[in-house]
Amino acid sequence: MTSIGLPHFLIVGAALFALGMVTVVTRRNAVGILMGVELILNAANVNFIAFNHYVAAPGSFTGQVFSIFVIVLAAAEAAIGLAIVLAIYQTFHTIDVEETDLLRE
Amino acid sequence: MPELNPKLRAYLVRLGVLALGLLGMIGAAVLHKFAHLGLAPTLLLEYFAVICVVWGLNPFLFRRLPLGGASLLLFSAAVFGVLFFIAYFLLSVAGPFLLDSAGRFVGLVHLGDLVFYVIALVAIAGAAGTAFSRNIIYSAWSLLFAFLGVAGIYVLLGADFPAMAQVLIYVGGVLVLILFAIMLTKQIGEDPKLTNAHLGLPVGAGLALVTIGTLTYMAVMAPWDVTPTQSYQPVSASLGIAFLTDYLLPFEVASVVLLAALVGAVIIARKEIKETSDTVLQ
Repeated sequence: MTSIGLPHFLIVGAALFALGMVTVVTRRNAVGILMGVELILNAANVNFIAFNHYVAAPGSFTGQVFSIFVIVLAAAEAAIGLAIVLAIYQTFHTIDVEETDLLRE
Repeated sequence: MPELNPKLRAYLVRLGVLALGLLGMIGAAVLHKFAHLGLAPTLLLEYFAVICVVWGLNPFLFRRLPLGGASLLLFSAAVFGVLFFIAYFLLSVAGPFLLDSAGRFVGLVHLGDLVFYVIALVAIAGAAGTAFSRNIIYSAWSLLFAFLGVAGIYVLLGADFPAMAQVLIYVGGVLVLILFAIMLTKQIGEDPKLTNAHLGLPVGAGLALVTIGTLTYMAVMAPWDVTPTQSYQPVSASLGIAFLTDYLLPFEVASVVLLAALVGAVIIARKEIKETSDTVLQ
């Protein structure tokens, strides 16, 4: 009998989430911040699929359906986010989020 | 025969003696093992082989000690003693103990557990590299390992279709997009500290530790209602049926969202062509 259970996968998801949050909070590069967002979305997906495997009734795939929707939205988010990064680069010639403060008074 | 440089010839002689010594060491061990050579002749042969090796190694290692005559013999004896002690220790004391403990350890570890730990390590190490790497390119490559590790976790959880989607969309799409964005917004070869600077890293690390601690405590202590039997069946067909029956409206909305994202990304990212009213009138 294997000793790997639901908490192991939840801990992996927690670690991915925390590291993604650190990336979002501490990076100054806009592309790095987007990488952090991707990590956070992956952590959420790990939790969805772990709960679908261990907690949901057999034959129910709600968690996996939600993970597919999350992947779809992450792809859309990456495309839009990187387009915004490119637009910022064309305007400011930098993607350092500390220096793109046009709206700050 | 052409004249060799005397220095080169000396090196070649040393190398030959070195090879002879190594062969002698191995040969003596083989003779002792298979031809039942006595212990004393074996040790004598090994000692001569060690002398050959030390003499051959002298110009390369040991900073060219003036080894010759009695000092060579003494130094070789010391090396021989050290080697003999190490071999005796490995063969008689540490070796059996290590083999025994390794056997017990392997008996305790299940292969499935080991696979999980390896995959989780890959995922978390990739995420840590993304968070703490100094260079944005290295961050992107670490993100690749994080995505692949998460795909492996999906496979372990019996979710084959999400794992495939993860590899195809994240690794094949999002990561390539991120690398393109890095390439388009940064001169390769810039100072990596400038391209991937941190802001308040100690605060961030503290935040990560607090978050991991809280979530781990919750994951371990909460009384999850775990079903006793977990199924490992192919899920693609069931997912397709679920998408076209129970989740039809979100499915269609997702397709509209993707279309809107496609058009929006093109409009945002393209270079604006400024047309003044004059050029339009002309």
